[in-house]
Amino acid sequence: MKNIPIDLPIPTEDLVSCVSCGLCLPHCPTYRVTQEESASPRGRIALMKQAHHEGAINEEFVEFIDSCIQCRGCETACPAGVQFGSMMETTREALATQTRYQPWWARLGYRALGWRKALRVGSTVIGIMQRLRLVPRRLGLPPIPILQRSLIPSGSDVWLFTGCIMDAWMRDTHRAVQRVLESTGAGVAFPDKRASCCGALHVHAGLAPEARRLALRTMQAFPGTAPILVDSAGCGAQLKDYGHLLGTDSARLFSERVLDVHEWLAQHLDDLPKKSGLSPRIVVQDPCHLRHVQRSHESVYKVLGRYVETVSLDDDGLCCGAGGAYSTFHPQIASDVRDRKIQAIEETDAQEVASANPGCLLHLRSGGLEVRHPLEIVDALITKDE
Amino acid sequence: MVHKSADEKLLSDLRSFLGDRARDGDFELGLYSKDGSVLKGDPMIVCLPIDTEEVQQIVLACRKHDRPFLARGSGTGLAGGAVPVGDPVVIATAKMNKILDVDIDNRIAWVEPGVLNLDLSRELSPLGFHFAPDPSSQQVCSIGGNVANNSGGPHCLAYGVTSAHVAAVEVVLPDGRVTLLGDLTPESPGYDLRGLFIGSEGTMGIATKVAVRLTPNPPEVRTLLLDFADVRDGAAAVSSIIAAGLIPAALEMMDQRAIEIVEAFVNAGYPTEADAVLLVELDGLPGGVEHGVEVVRAVAEHHQVGSVRVAADDAERALLWKGRKNAFGAVARIKPDYYLHDTVVPRGKLVEVLEKVYQIADAYDLIAVNVFHAGDGNLHPILAYDADEKGVLERVQAAGRAIVTASIEAGGVLSGEHGIGLEKRDYMGMLFSAHDMATQDLVREALDPDGFANPLKVLPSGSRCSDSFGQHVPDGAWV
Repeated sequence: MKNIPIDLPIPTEDLVSCVSCGLCLPHCPTYRVTQEESASPRGRIALMKQAHHEGAINEEFVEFIDSCIQCRGCETACPAGVQFGSMMETTREALATQTRYQPWWARLGYRALGWRKALRVGSTVIGIMQRLRLVPRRLGLPPIPILQRSLIPSGSDVWLFTGCIMDAWMRDTHRAVQRVLESTGAGVAFPDKRASCCGALHVHAGLAPEARRLALRTMQAFPGTAPILVDSAGCGAQLKDYGHLLGTDSARLFSERVLDVHEWLAQHLDDLPKKSGLSPRIVVQDPCHLRHVQRSHESVYKVLGRYVETVSLDDDGLCCGAGGAYSTFHPQIASDVRDRKIQAIEETDAQEVASANPGCLLHLRSGGLEVRHPLEIVDALITKDE
Repeated sequence: MVHKSADEKLLSDLRSFLGDRARDGDFELGLYSKDGSVLKGDPMIVCLPIDTEEVQQIVLACRKHDRPFLARGSGTGLAGGAVPVGDPVVIATAKMNKILDVDIDNRIAWVEPGVLNLDLSRELSPLGFHFAPDPSSQQVCSIGGNVANNSGGPHCLAYGVTSAHVAAVEVVLPDGRVTLLGDLTPESPGYDLRGLFIGSEGTMGIATKVAVRLTPNPPEVRTLLLDFADVRDGAAAVSSIIAAGLIPAALEMMDQRAIEIVEAFVNAGYPTEADAVLLVELDGLPGGVEHGVEVVRAVAEHHQVGSVRVAADDAERALLWKGRKNAFGAVARIKPDYYLHDTVVPRGKLVEVLEKVYQIADAYDLIAVNVFHAGDGNLHPILAYDADEKGVLERVQAAGRAIVTASIEAGGVLSGEHGIGLEKRDYMGMLFSAHDMATQDLVREALDPDGFANPLKVLPSGSRCSDSFGQHVPDGAWV
């Protein structure tokens, strides 16, 4: 029974752009671990076509749509250039606005991400609980700092976007990134609390109105024309999408200023300190939002490759299973997907993994791997040289 | 749409051993209602077995409840072979995806049917071997599907199609017995039932384990891209290359429209201005390959080639192939639907038949895209269209029939490698006499007397007496 009415506002020309050839299937992490059509991009588009055509859905539909990690690996694999990501976002937005998709407690959680004080208090509580050993290790949370030192700006050549979770839990990574940026002679500015969340997780969850609100607020925190650098692949992809999300000229101009921090550094390679000494072998995990969405993962190899021997994986950039909040809501699939990634990593003989996205980094760490942000690795090597 | 309720007793029987891997959800059934073709059917139940025993139990349960069944691999078939007609149970073997054993000494690997073709070759690569048949869909198509369709691929010109690379198959027969067809010895006595099964499109049972032959990776490979200002020169060069005594590992052709859509996807530097390109691959010992490159160059120059590009390294080679192998999907850049044929014509008639294809497309106001295995004359004329356009289906159907007629008149055959399935079933009479088809039907009946396995496929209705599951033709079918 398809008993929940729905209006899926996906343009017909987008829906029919998929000829269901199936070439996306092996590039989809959830298809790879289930081998089921319902967990494939082709299948999900066919579901959207059915719902669009019939105007009604059921729980089965919601479950299948919700199982997508939104890695968008299918987009780089698709010979017809089907815009899967935007169709999935539209579908989730329709679910969140027209059905009971995303319960109140989930909405509250997402809301708190954009509310710096709430996030800080919550994080401090978790941090204290961790020290009292009240947080199970299997949750895979990193050691969360209780007291945070502020980030200190050093100029206005470039902005460094700080984000929500990353700022609350991994501010030391921002500090390392800042030092690497400063080693090129650039002065780094930080945004105020208006840029406390990019809204990526909200878009993924179908909470587009909230995402638009966060986008408008974030844009105000970056006056001027200096490049806006991002050290989280997921946030960078989202900031680059503001032009599309808001559809305004100012949003488009804003998005044009956004660069993944490695993209900017790859343009300033000669300004980086020279390397010296032996370099370890490091496996580079390409975050999906860098490889499939921003399509700029090569810059990580350029920057990191100046200091270490980089090893790339031969798994076609298949997702690691983190997917922002995905691994929290779908722990089993996320862990099955991660197992494939871990196997691919272990087949190389490298000791450590570099990941340019905090979600992937934490997810892989909780799978038992040594993982650092690429620029933490660079920072450690530069600092050692000094 | 309200789906008819599944046969409750059958479903509960299936659930007793499959648990939640027997599905009847409205949306999920819709996902298994079609394959890579344009046709749509209507499955009753979808089963997702994980081993031979489960497949056998499903077949027995279907028989008990008088319900036909059909096997499905990755669902990339282009002739509707895996489209469920007659309300059958779909047995999707995708979860049976283990490589069971690799025996390098005997150059055999035992694999389950759901193993993806390219996954197998990648797994074998460190050992210096691969599975030779390489359909364009090789990144996703399954070994089971390759067996069902006796699939080919660009490199089958030199290496032969699937049948030449499968030593034995474990099969669940339509009556539920499990048997082994073929064996691992080079020559076995008696009828070649393995050969009969390969290419039978699921009408003689379901493959549950496959013993594939392993092909050593060639020591040297060269890939050349030749472009021509006139598609006729390219087609003529194909015949001349083979006439010069070479059998390239692959010899592929793409016309201008194909080049354009493919280049938009891969950015491999395909010459979008050219009327046609040939992708020629030579492999073997270094001396022989170098000689071959010179022969191809000389032949191409004789046929007014624009330029000859030799891929400099593996990365460039891979990119050129990525373009070729994604061509069908890329057609969506022109129109949302496509219908393609798979006829084979004598190489000497390539130019003539290609011209006819363009004339036919023009006459029916359709767009033709040609990307095909030129070396063995296996055409893949694609008609791109928008199904929402009024009356377009009739034009596509008529143009398709005209293309098949032209190919057969030129001394060709109906299908090279995609199978007959549902889509080309009713063209069989253009190639075979009633007597031929009745004889084929006798063979089929010998293995499936009650018509349980993939009913209504391959042979036109009427050629058999026991089509016991009705004549339901699915939406969108023009058979």
